[in-house]
Amino acid sequence: MLRSRAATATKTAAAAALALRRGSSMAEGPVGRAIRAKLQAALEPSYLRVLDESHRHAGPPGAESHFAVVVVSGRFAGLPPLQRHRLVHGALRAELAGPVHALAIVARTPEQWGADPRVPPSPACLGGSKHQHPEAEPPGAPAAS
Amino acid sequence: MSGALRAAWRLRGAARGWAGRRLSQAAAGGAEGSGGDGGDGGGSGSREAVERLVRAHPVVVFMKGSPAQPLCGFSNAVVQILRLHGVQDYRAHDVLQDPDLRQGIKNYSNWPTIPQVYLNGEFVGGCDILLQMHQNGDLVEELKKLGIRSALLDAEKDQDKK
Repeated sequence: MLRSRAATATKTAAAAALALRRGSSMAEGPVGRAIRAKLQAALEPSYLRVLDESHRHAGPPGAESHFAVVVVSGRFAGLPPLQRHRLVHGALRAELAGPVHALAIVARTPEQWGADPRVPPSPACLGGSKHQHPEAEPPGAPAAS
Repeated sequence: MSGALRAAWRLRGAARGWAGRRLSQAAAGGAEGSGGDGGDGGGSGSREAVERLVRAHPVVVFMKGSPAQPLCGFSNAVVQILRLHGVQDYRAHDVLQDPDLRQGIKNYSNWPTIPQVYLNGEFVGGCDILLQMHQNGDLVEELKKLGIRSALLDAEKDQDKK
């Protein structure tokens, strides 16, 4: 039991270090895993990438507040972008009502992805809710971004 | 992605100048309800109040910060895209100044995030979708329907002349 806890701690530390080094990290935490599982179930993607970009947005590594997802699924065929994004939101209703403040979405059919697998870079943080009205939700943990 | 847009991503709230000056109202002026009431009681986040805001102008944006000083990278992206197309006159509402509006706009569009872009009173999407529309030419077309000529059309014309 102690050994597995140590292993988990090591994995978490490694993910955090990776997040600091890279622009974004593969989502390893519970929220990231839930996002991955729900998108898998709802959209049966041929390609799925879930990145935790929280640490680029005034949150500590592993904050799991900002995500970027790339979903390639035949379910998107014939749907305009708005409807595709709504499908993604629908699958992630609980997360979006909870810890997830931002969700960048790339939603393409397998044909579109085959023709163009490029993903635009996520925009830089400009402070966001740290600037909000004092009566609104409490600001996130301060951190360098 | 075009070099111009890549440069726009790197801008740190530097959208000073004419885009900000032409802007008519921020959320402080734009929230017509009393503002104290929460989402449903006729406050600034009520369906009626939001409806008035989205219909007030052909191009309406709900964002964090203002076009002169965006406070979120995704909101800044929307501002920069509009700027690239030469859209000078639009309504922008800073949801960070008004928690009722911040929740109300999400209820209205059934969309969980900010920024939100409305063209002719209709919700078109957030930053990702606007970027897509910019890249595939749809935004030029949608602006044309609103009687707005995208600056990029003139840029193209200049290039053809050379």
